[in-house]
Amino acid sequence: MKKIYSSLPLVFFFILTIFFFRQLILKEDPSELPSVLIDKSLPIIKLEKLAEYKLFNRENLLLLKEPSLINVWSSWCAPCKIEHEFLLAMSAEYNIKIFGINYKDDKKDAINVLKSSGNPFYAIGRDEDGIQSINLGVYGVPETFIIDANGNIRYRHVGPILEYDMKNTILPILNSIK
Amino acid sequence: MKLITLTLFFIFSSIALTHSQVSYKADNTEAYELYEELRCLVCQNQSLLDSDAPLALDLKKLVLDKLEEGKSKEEIKLFLVERYGEFILLKPTFTIKNILLWVGPLIFVIFGFFTTFIFLRKNPLTKEENVNLTNIEKERLKKIIDRELKE
Repeated sequence: MKKIYSSLPLVFFFILTIFFFRQLILKEDPSELPSVLIDKSLPIIKLEKLAEYKLFNRENLLLLKEPSLINVWSSWCAPCKIEHEFLLAMSAEYNIKIFGINYKDDKKDAINVLKSSGNPFYAIGRDEDGIQSINLGVYGVPETFIIDANGNIRYRHVGPILEYDMKNTILPILNSIK
Repeated sequence: MKLITLTLFFIFSSIALTHSQVSYKADNTEAYELYEELRCLVCQNQSLLDSDAPLALDLKKLVLDKLEEGKSKEEIKLFLVERYGEFILLKPTFTIKNILLWVGPLIFVIFGFFTTFIFLRKNPLTKEENVNLTNIEKERLKKIIDRELKE
């Protein structure tokens, strides 16, 4: 009986170790929010037109009937500049349709970015006050969603898409749902 | 001259301060309670009330708009949980999934009392037993105590 009690702290310690170890090998960023919208239909978002660019709305995404990306970006967001070249690569080399949501941005600045760095977007819409992006559960730019051919959200990527993310996450998922 | 520039500096700095604080003040208790119960998703250990992050301001505006539309507190919470998950609630819901979170501390307290009880009962220092001393032993004890007292 006495032996059991004296070994209790050790047992406790090992249980704790299991929890810590799990956190250690999972390599999940606990500050990164899991999307609640995974496997749910794309919510209705009402965006405004940006200059002469084709307007992104739910209908022209559903009409595509192929997997596509939704990218939330802004001209004032530094990580967006980093991922820009990979968005361009995906749209040009892999022929992926990317729908852009221009988040709380100045019209002129947004157009400037597209004119000077290239336009990776198939269609684009402005979310001037950020309320429409709340519908998507966006909590920071950039964010990217993978949408399947039926208009369901399959994956959410928080933060910029780097080459590694593009090759190891985004493209394989897009291929798997084709 | 120095004084004038300094004064001007202070006047303008106060303007800058009021400018940066675009806040959606809660003018009723419902809005105030919601601000307190919802998490700012940018600075994740702050409530909307504490946070001045742009997203927090947007969410505050959304809360006020929804209240004005006549939505109840619960409806607004549900709306946000559907979009951001339960993480946005600073107070977790009482469900099977969260049961350990709620009951856990109680289990630890009970466990603590239990082990303390066991420990005290087993400890010879706290044992209450009548020790019957023989007469000779009593004499010896008295001598020892007396000697100790003298010193």
